[in-house]
Amino acid sequence: MNTILVVAEHRRGEVRPVTLELITAAQQLKTAADDRVLLAIIGQEAESLASQLQWAGVDEIIACKTNSAEFEPELAEQAVSALIVSRKPIAVLLPHSVDSLGYATAVAVKGGYGYATDVFKLAYDGGALVATRGGYNQKVNVEVDFPGHACAVMTIRGGAFKPVETVAAPLLTVDDRSELSARSRPLEFIEQGGGGDIDITTVEFIMSIGRGIGEEANVEDFRELADNIDATLCCSRPIADAGWLPKSRQVGQSGKVVSACKLYVAMGISGSIQHMAGMKHVSTIVAVNTDPGASIFTIAKYGIVADIFEIQEELQAQLA
Amino acid sequence: MSPQRFLSKSESQVPMTAQALVAHVLESGDFYAAVAVHGIADARQRQRLEERLFGSRRDVLMLARWEHTPANVLDALSRLEHMPLARRVVKHRNTGGSTLKHQFSQSDDPALTGLLALHANTPAPLLLQIAMGDHDQVVLKGLARNPSAQPEVLRLLAQRFPRRFDKEIASHAAVPVDLLATLYHRGDKFVRAAVLAHKHVPEALLLQAAKSTETLILRALVKHPQLPAALVDTLSQHKDNAIRAALATRADLPVHLTARLALDESDSVRRAVACRADLAPTLMQMLAEDHDPWVRQWLGRNPMAGKHVLQKLALDIHEDVRRAVARNPNCPITLLEKLASDHRSWVRAAVAYQPNVTSCLMASLARDSAVDVLSGVAANPHTAPALLKRLVFSEELDVRRGVILNPAAGPEILLPLLQDPYYLHRVMLASSPKLSDQDKWQLRDDPDARVRFALFQWLAARALRPVADRYFYRRKA
Repeated sequence: MNTILVVAEHRRGEVRPVTLELITAAQQLKTAADDRVLLAIIGQEAESLASQLQWAGVDEIIACKTNSAEFEPELAEQAVSALIVSRKPIAVLLPHSVDSLGYATAVAVKGGYGYATDVFKLAYDGGALVATRGGYNQKVNVEVDFPGHACAVMTIRGGAFKPVETVAAPLLTVDDRSELSARSRPLEFIEQGGGGDIDITTVEFIMSIGRGIGEEANVEDFRELADNIDATLCCSRPIADAGWLPKSRQVGQSGKVVSACKLYVAMGISGSIQHMAGMKHVSTIVAVNTDPGASIFTIAKYGIVADIFEIQEELQAQLA
Repeated sequence: MSPQRFLSKSESQVPMTAQALVAHVLESGDFYAAVAVHGIADARQRQRLEERLFGSRRDVLMLARWEHTPANVLDALSRLEHMPLARRVVKHRNTGGSTLKHQFSQSDDPALTGLLALHANTPAPLLLQIAMGDHDQVVLKGLARNPSAQPEVLRLLAQRFPRRFDKEIASHAAVPVDLLATLYHRGDKFVRAAVLAHKHVPEALLLQAAKSTETLILRALVKHPQLPAALVDTLSQHKDNAIRAALATRADLPVHLTARLALDESDSVRRAVACRADLAPTLMQMLAEDHDPWVRQWLGRNPMAGKHVLQKLALDIHEDVRRAVARNPNCPITLLEKLASDHRSWVRAAVAYQPNVTSCLMASLARDSAVDVLSGVAANPHTAPALLKRLVFSEELDVRRGVILNPAAGPEILLPLLQDPYYLHRVMLASSPKLSDQDKWQLRDDPDARVRFALFQWLAARALRPVADRYFYRRKA
């Protein structure tokens, strides 16, 4: 029986959606029926936050109580290290995030475990765990194995795995670690100004525009339409490159993976491999394109061979 | 000391002729470079390239579906006897007319006929042949939608199957005018609306349609430039919001109707009014106070909006309205300077993309930390070369790409980007006319196949012209 440990990430009383992606990744590592997926949540409010973690595929939630209300890398490091010693997992999955990078390396080095960051694929090769990550500034993909290590700590790239969707009622265990203390103490939390734009990786309904849009004034027509139907307007790379929509709205390899999206309406997007890398997992894709041979139709559930402006006008007329 | 590799002259210089380029590819054995140069190879070299390209079943299948596979390789694929690939080849958008014709003559597969009916490169006689002989409704529907279908094809379909494909035929750009009238008279309201939306609709039909009370018909009618004047006034009071909104976009709308529609209860109508180029200053002032942010936004983008209106909108609570002002081609520089320090980066980004920004303002925007703003500075042709040289080394790949997209960025700025870690940037530079072939030649061993393909495609296109010229010259002699 193998154990896989997932460490949940939370912020301001809410579990971050990336945690659900880690659960899917952990499920893929299960090779036998009795393999177990443990989901640890660390912090002062760990027990109450555990109610947000009732997901299928998790065998046990470990509410690891510490005495800090905020995330502190040293406490997280000590708590995760203690869990590895007591539960003996073969793999520890953390989000590839600023939080995790603050302590994952220390956990791996101090414990002498295998370590890989920014992992986007997990598999077994002849019984040995193999993680795939980018290399040489993403020029190549690198497969990493962990010979001689009983446990591998891995940070998982956001959007690489589909978030788990089914709820369940896993066993809850409380692990009191309030005795842990950090050598440093945060004095103040300063809010970043930031762009303040919507996070497209968390929205469920997206209308996306591509090269077929033609000119900037047309972008505004589609923004208006998206507003009217409560969709989030996103785009392919050329639109963001032209400055017509923010970079934060770009879907694809050089943009974002819309991991939470359930309905994706692609308007005038031909469907390059780079764009599809960010949205092909979406369960319902509606594609509108004048070219019946456009690649987007190969992954679309519903395809409309039509002029996007006709469709936009008609929808606006219906809404008016 | 780092290891050095000494290049022989033949290795370090770009092959200048098609034959030398193909010879280099054959020597290197690079699969993707072989795809790129296949079109410029002579018969003997082509045979050797095909041995490399079609050596394994996996490669052949990949080539048949790869979006960049050129027409000449697809043609060669379609002639492979040991591996039937007809459907894949016919489905590919790059497949040329002669290949499609060859496939049609070689096969009696009904699915293949359906794909041929849809393909934009299918030759006109072949489309006509399908229209004459085929009975499959799906195939014929695809044919009626094919933008390459000739008027004879559409006429034949309308004759063979009256009413069956009338909607598709009425929407086709090549439909003959007399056929439009036939379709209108025998069609339902959907067909009639499609006929009225056609840019070649006869005026007589417009007059007939003007008597209709059907909303769908009137929506199509109201967009037509030849709309009878008498109908304009009537339609301005129509209960359907979409009809009034479409009316508000008409260039020939009388002034009194513009004023009436500016007070319309429907947001969509007032939004359309806000885009008009002929708005009186009083109407603009009124619309600048509109409760709907989209009305104010469209007004902010209106190139005819006056300075005072823009000043008011530049203080709007909605960032999209302020951004609209910053994107307005006639936004005064004083307003742009104010908007350049807006607290929202998306507004500042709009200023960064403005072509009429001063170099001083651009320098201040280059100190911004937001990626959208810096991308705008990088892509703006008015950005000083010294700033661009700095942005080439930005950690943000979007900013570096902005420099590549900047039409004013010269080779001395772009050269370091040939080493960019993001493959797409190297692909873009491999096809850039700004860099010399000699500079680009360093990409020949790039780890990314797409970069190598782009480079050899560029070099093959360059080599093609001398070959064609020589051929023409010899034939003439």
